[in-house]
Amino acid sequence: MKKFDEVKIGDTLGPLELTVTKDQCRAYAKTSGFGDVAGRFTDEAAAKKEGLPGIILPGNMSLGLLSKLVTDWIGFGGARLTRMGTTYRVPVQPDHALTIHGFVTNINPDDRTVEIDVWIENEEAERLVTGTATVEFPK
Amino acid sequence: MTTTLDLHTHSEASEDSRAPVEAYLNWIKLRHVERPVDGIVLTEHRQFNREADYRPLEDKFGIMVLRASEVETNYGHMLVFGVNDDMLARFDFANIRLDAQTVIDEVARMGGIVVPCHPGRPNIGLYEHYESKPPLEHVVAVEALNGGSRKGEDARADELISKFGYASTGGSDSHLVSLIGLCATRFSAYIKDIDGLVRELKTGAYEAVDFRPRRKVVPHAVAVETR
Repeated sequence: MKKFDEVKIGDTLGPLELTVTKDQCRAYAKTSGFGDVAGRFTDEAAAKKEGLPGIILPGNMSLGLLSKLVTDWIGFGGARLTRMGTTYRVPVQPDHALTIHGFVTNINPDDRTVEIDVWIENEEAERLVTGTATVEFPK
Repeated sequence: MTTTLDLHTHSEASEDSRAPVEAYLNWIKLRHVERPVDGIVLTEHRQFNREADYRPLEDKFGIMVLRASEVETNYGHMLVFGVNDDMLARFDFANIRLDAQTVIDEVARMGGIVVPCHPGRPNIGLYEHYESKPPLEHVVAVEALNGGSRKGEDARADELISKFGYASTGGSDSHLVSLIGLCATRFSAYIKDIDGLVRELKTGAYEAVDFRPRRKVVPHAVAVETR
């Protein structure tokens, strides 16, 4: 369990390396209820028809992956992830090696919160989705 | 004495950034061995805050904080250095359809300089506009290295630099604290304020430097060994 007093600016989260398969992407889209209405998440041809390189991850799935990096870092039973903001710069494609990075950038002792930069990177070191997260520690 | 400045950064004053200026400076101090920049230039989107005073932060961290602006034109996005009251009266910085040639010429006449940024980026970069429109006149430099570039974008910038003889600048285009200082511009002169920066930018005698951990090969940029 992460403790507030142990956190330092510059601390690294991850990196978390993973590959999301097309089937996982389809399953997420269908479970989320937009698999049938948005072919870009489930159907290669439909995605290409929209000008995309192929199936892409739903934005919420990328958000979930970024959140996982932070909640894994927090551990169980202590701090809470209270806010996450994201910018979707480039579509995230399944079957590509993704790396998720995070860095602690600010610590606010007054409200016991920590600010964290997070992003998903592809094999070319292109930042596909970037964001910031706020973690609140118990008082 | 040289001066190395990150010429393209966005703080929380830009709508798409949450990075406080103080956090930027703290990060530079923390990572100074890997990203040895002497200062940053805040280039907020479509605005210029003439009231902002970063002197207390400059004193606290020993890092220079200068102000410029990133405006939007019919040839893509451009950094305006040396913004003054005359420019703010002449142009609506919030206008996303400014005429590039007018901005370049008028800013120069009023004592500043314009540098097209991320020129290799689709839609908002000079390269794509040059494919359908005549090249702009009186451009001294373009941003050769942008910390947010995707694969191929810096190479397209380099094509323009080779073809038109532009000077090369670098900037992180940081919207996140931890990305500050990834790319920068190294001047052979000592720069202490915005007037000095504008004066040096007009000479064309500087180079883009790349502090990204996984560096790309860009002929007009200098790769700096940091590890």
